[in-house]
Amino acid sequence: MQQSIWQGIKLVFIKELTAGLRFKAAWAAMFMFALTTLACVSMALQGGVVEPRLLAALLWVCLFFAAMAGADRVFADEDTAGTLLTLRIFGPSQAVLLGKMLYTLFLLVLLAMFITPLFLLLMDVTVAAPLVLWGTMLLGCTGIAAAGTLIAALTTGASVHSGLFSILMLPVILPVFLPAISLTAGAFGSGGITGSYLGGMALYDLILLVGASILFDYLWYED
Amino acid sequence: MMKVIQARMLPWAVGLLTAVVIYLVFFVVPPAQGLGDYVRIAFFHIPMAWVSVLAFLMSAWWGAGYLRRQEMRADRLSAASAKLGLVFVVLATVSGAVFSKLTWGAYWNWDPRQTTIFVLLLIYGAYLTLRAAMPEPRRRARVTAVYALFSFLTVPFLVFIIPRLYFSLHPSPVINGSGSLDMDPVMLGTLLAGLLDATLLYVWLVFRSVGGKDKEALP
Repeated sequence: MQQSIWQGIKLVFIKELTAGLRFKAAWAAMFMFALTTLACVSMALQGGVVEPRLLAALLWVCLFFAAMAGADRVFADEDTAGTLLTLRIFGPSQAVLLGKMLYTLFLLVLLAMFITPLFLLLMDVTVAAPLVLWGTMLLGCTGIAAAGTLIAALTTGASVHSGLFSILMLPVILPVFLPAISLTAGAFGSGGITGSYLGGMALYDLILLVGASILFDYLWYED
Repeated sequence: MMKVIQARMLPWAVGLLTAVVIYLVFFVVPPAQGLGDYVRIAFFHIPMAWVSVLAFLMSAWWGAGYLRRQEMRADRLSAASAKLGLVFVVLATVSGAVFSKLTWGAYWNWDPRQTTIFVLLLIYGAYLTLRAAMPEPRRRARVTAVYALFSFLTVPFLVFIIPRLYFSLHPSPVINGSGSLDMDPVMLGTLLAGLLDATLLYVWLVFRSVGGKDKEALP
């Protein structure tokens, strides 16, 4: 009996979640990286008054590089454990891609929920527009998850791993990163929140998702 | 036969056109109002920036060709285009920064077009780093083709969104919103000649760099 794509996505997501909860190294690395970066920023600023735009940039830099410390493992771990071939034989490409993407999004949303309140607390930031802030966070995480899952698949088998994922991610994710900083600065009270930025981010997320879905088949079904 | 003629004629055509463009830029083009002689830099800077974008488009195009037909020649063309694109984008960035310092007082100010060219520089760097990190030729061809196409998704953002986010010091495009040309005819002619010259130089160099490898690949 052929399973539906939704069932496949759900199974891959549950598999990833179970493996993530069993081997906590990737989670720990990502969350500790975020905490360390945030502590460095907070200590360096020593409670000084910082412009909303700079605060927004610092928050997104913390989030982006913490995400880079964990999101690159989704295919590399399978490769190291020797389970990638099994997944390739039994897993339909789109179920694997979307299941892993959903898991990465889940992880990134958890990361944002962990780091953002701490950031607001340590940097003494008042949020003028909380809905805009969380909407931006969600769209930003979706973009990073969509691009990150495909790029994690690209880097599998590379002779150099350290830094390669971030190098490949940054140019592709900038269209999410820059409006996210503008919107977050607006949510921190700098004014100038434009709804079209949120629409632009959502549209670019969709483009990344469709692009990743089309291109992933070329990586999954090799000769 | 046609290919041999093209291969022999193209370098001469490029050389001749380059000499003509240099003569036009330094001896015919008048100083521009407000920019003086600094405007001459623009006749090298704009063609370099144009070829940077063209090379990116062609690298993605040949990448798609590889994914469709699995021919290593398409991968070699895609890689050659990216390598040349990197050279052209560095030249465009440096010439633009010098022009920016002379006219606006700072080498870099994250003007929308500077941001665009910088993102392009990052993409070329990332593409070539990925190639260097992949030891197996078929896998390398496949993943770099996918990355070239995936990074091409940033183009609508670079062209349409970035200019709305930041204030620009760059003049408006030669063909303005009303569709009319707003440039001195001598300058426009020289600019078009420069664009043609840079495009032909790119075409010659990309096929030249692949030609030798094609001979090596023959059984």
